[in-house]
Amino acid sequence: MPVVKDDLGEQIVQLLPRLRRFARSLVNNAQDADDLVQLAIERALSRSEQLRPDAQLSSWMFGILRNAWIDESRSRGRRSRVFVPEELGENVADPAASGEADALSVQDAMARLPSEQREVVGLVLVEGLSYKEAAEIIGVPVGTITSRLARGRDSLQAMLGALA
Amino acid sequence: MTFSDEDLMAYADGELDDTKRQQIQDAMSRDPEIARRVASHQALKDSLRAGFEPVLQEPVPDRLLTAARSKSGSSKSNVVPLRGHKVAVRPQSRWFALAASFALGALALQFGRTLLRSDSITERDGQLLAAGKLHAALSNQLVAAQTQDSAVQIGVSYLSRNGHYCRTFQMRELGGLACNEAGNWKLEVLARESHAANSEYRPAASNLPPAVVQAVTNTISGEPLDPKEEASARAQKWQK
Repeated sequence: MPVVKDDLGEQIVQLLPRLRRFARSLVNNAQDADDLVQLAIERALSRSEQLRPDAQLSSWMFGILRNAWIDESRSRGRRSRVFVPEELGENVADPAASGEADALSVQDAMARLPSEQREVVGLVLVEGLSYKEAAEIIGVPVGTITSRLARGRDSLQAMLGALA
Repeated sequence: MTFSDEDLMAYADGELDDTKRQQIQDAMSRDPEIARRVASHQALKDSLRAGFEPVLQEPVPDRLLTAARSKSGSSKSNVVPLRGHKVAVRPQSRWFALAASFALGALALQFGRTLLRSDSITERDGQLLAAGKLHAALSNQLVAAQTQDSAVQIGVSYLSRNGHYCRTFQMRELGGLACNEAGNWKLEVLARESHAANSEYRPAASNLPPAVVQAVTNTISGEPLDPKEEASARAQKWQK
């Protein structure tokens, strides 16, 4: 999909539902996820000259969002090391509260994955990107994507229970 | 022939070439255990997609639409937050408020010094208030009656979620948002227009700096006032 830069804002608007979904797969809290999307939009608009004419806008945006998430997690980690991570803090009580003590929701299970696995699961399994596209966005070889995805799947399977 | 779990996973994800895909299909028809493992990968994928699918149906928040449609992504660099996090560019953001207030603090110092020399802005108890002709325009000027010659151009007027009347304005190269509390117009956001310096043209109110538009989006309750409501708000001296 060639990108017409003049129209970048509107093209991003078209992508917003998917960007929000990807952000939600990275960050469980909807408000924080939308903050991330907003940051990604701002970064994208201020760096539109870096978008290559032959590039897929969705991949570029997923990459910016993913990097924004890494940046924010790092700086938040430095500031709030003494606190329980938000994902854990929010989710510890959930299974019991929902009345299904042995079944985590998909969202809660995702939030418990290590971030390296979570981003791959989000891109490939939730967003349906190919391993190659995910590898380019994250900047690792396809083999690394495969192994992270395998580990992420195992953990999710264990958390969500037998599905088959 | 045996297959690794990664092979089966790649099969479920549609990542294999034709040859390997055929091999796995053959293996699945012979070996129920392989078929079961593939099905489990597919089921996990299906439940993940189903779990996040509802996000696609949610209405996209206005602030994201506004951000995508703002012409410049660099609006933050010339924005002054006037009341800390309550009026930061992203009031709803918890993660970013801290970083934003540091980044903007230095700018505020430099920018604020210029502003305070102006008789249109005054400071009381750490709060910037409209004064002089800005105060007069905010209090008296109706959009329906203003001309392009007015020194202050009023944009939209609305009732905030906190129950205060607020109005956007443009004055020289500044765009801003002021809200009336007990007769004073408190300046909530001020941003420098990036393009006005070399232009005699006074942009329409819809060309407000993105930070101002963002602040309106974040604080407005309901719709902007129509001309009749604006006139009646003025008649009540902007008190609810």
